[in-house]
Amino acid sequence: MAEKRFIMNAGRTTKQGQQINVGKDHAAYQAIVSTVTMNPEDMKALGITQGGTIRVKSECGEANFLCQEGKVPEGMLFVPYGPPTCHLMGQKTDGTGMPTSKGWEVEVEPVAAEGSETLK
Amino acid sequence: MTCTLGEVKNRADFIVYWGGNPAECHPRHFTKYTLTQKGKFVPRGRKDRTMVLVDIRETPSAKAADIFLQIKPTKDFEVLTILRALLKNQTVDRELAAETGLTLEQLQDLVDRMKSARFGVIFFGMGISMTRGKHMNSAAILTLVAELNAFTKFVAMPMRGHGNVTGADVVMRWTTGYPFGVNLCRGYPRYNPGEFSTVDLLVRGDVDAALILGADPGATMPQPAIDHLARIPTIVLDPKVTHTSRLARVHITTAVTGISATGTVYRMDEIPLPLRPALKSPYPTDEEVIRRVSKAVEKKMALSTASNGITMRA
Repeated sequence: MAEKRFIMNAGRTTKQGQQINVGKDHAAYQAIVSTVTMNPEDMKALGITQGGTIRVKSECGEANFLCQEGKVPEGMLFVPYGPPTCHLMGQKTDGTGMPTSKGWEVEVEPVAAEGSETLK
Repeated sequence: MTCTLGEVKNRADFIVYWGGNPAECHPRHFTKYTLTQKGKFVPRGRKDRTMVLVDIRETPSAKAADIFLQIKPTKDFEVLTILRALLKNQTVDRELAAETGLTLEQLQDLVDRMKSARFGVIFFGMGISMTRGKHMNSAAILTLVAELNAFTKFVAMPMRGHGNVTGADVVMRWTTGYPFGVNLCRGYPRYNPGEFSTVDLLVRGDVDAALILGADPGATMPQPAIDHLARIPTIVLDPKVTHTSRLARVHITTAVTGISATGTVYRMDEIPLPLRPALKSPYPTDEEVIRRVSKAVEKKMALSTASNGITMRA
């Protein structure tokens, strides 16, 4: 299965901020924080389809996300931060008190949809 | 080297946002303080101001910028160091500069614009403080700003996130002398980020109880820290059900400050603003709960010390 290294950035978006105030239990919030934005060329190279599932692995852990194409540079992923990104973020603070919450080096691989055996 | 947002509104003619996305994260920043407002020394508002955005991706804030500089990830420190070198007319290797994602001409142009500004400000976001380099990146921005003051008036301000995080820092500062990462175990404050800061204490499993006020670390902290909160007796004061309240042993629902409870909130420039509640709440305020808990603990301690024959120090 194809696997490539990326820089992953977790950040904020307006919709995510609105949904935090509506409630983190809502499906809309869960969908927002579980959807990664990726460069279309990178998606093509890895054989990931729009709305497909990917597995993202950092040195601290791994999590599955849905993938959508968007305006991010090649080699970069963007995701609104939330419970799934807690699994990926750095655990050391380098003496600052602040964990590394952005710019993780991650590996990305497509996850086969249930019922299908192979991915391109 | 900082100022209030009122000074920015009335004086700033050169504004840099670095590693932040105010269009999405601080949506009123442009319109209330930095770009569109007409000020005493910038009477034409937006026309009198230049805005530069420095970031690793083209965010919605780029649409509001006059100049968007897209740098490569984790190259903030290098860009800042080159700007400092150019400010002092030192020679910078063209190829090394290109590794940041910008050309030497772009960097020189930025320095020239900064030097010729009448009142410049750099707002720096979490793209600076949460990526590799962290406090060193912030220090590089503050040093650049200090050095710019040899040419013109320049200030820096962090783009603080969430409601009232600035207030927590300010109150900790005037009560203990330090903004965060304070340990009071010895009866006097000790400050050591990395040792006494929340994430470090939780990841190492150093604490055996936690009281969480108006925060949701269960949805934002590294997973080992969340796992430890679930292991120990965690008490949460929050108006809503959150990821943290679900893993806590006790969740006390409190009134929402600013909507149904009075209080003071600190703006990101550390200006305190009184809050007047618009609605009544059946729930107690955070302050009320803490006072009641504190009284109950005092009572219990007095009872236990009396039975032990131990005298409490005042």
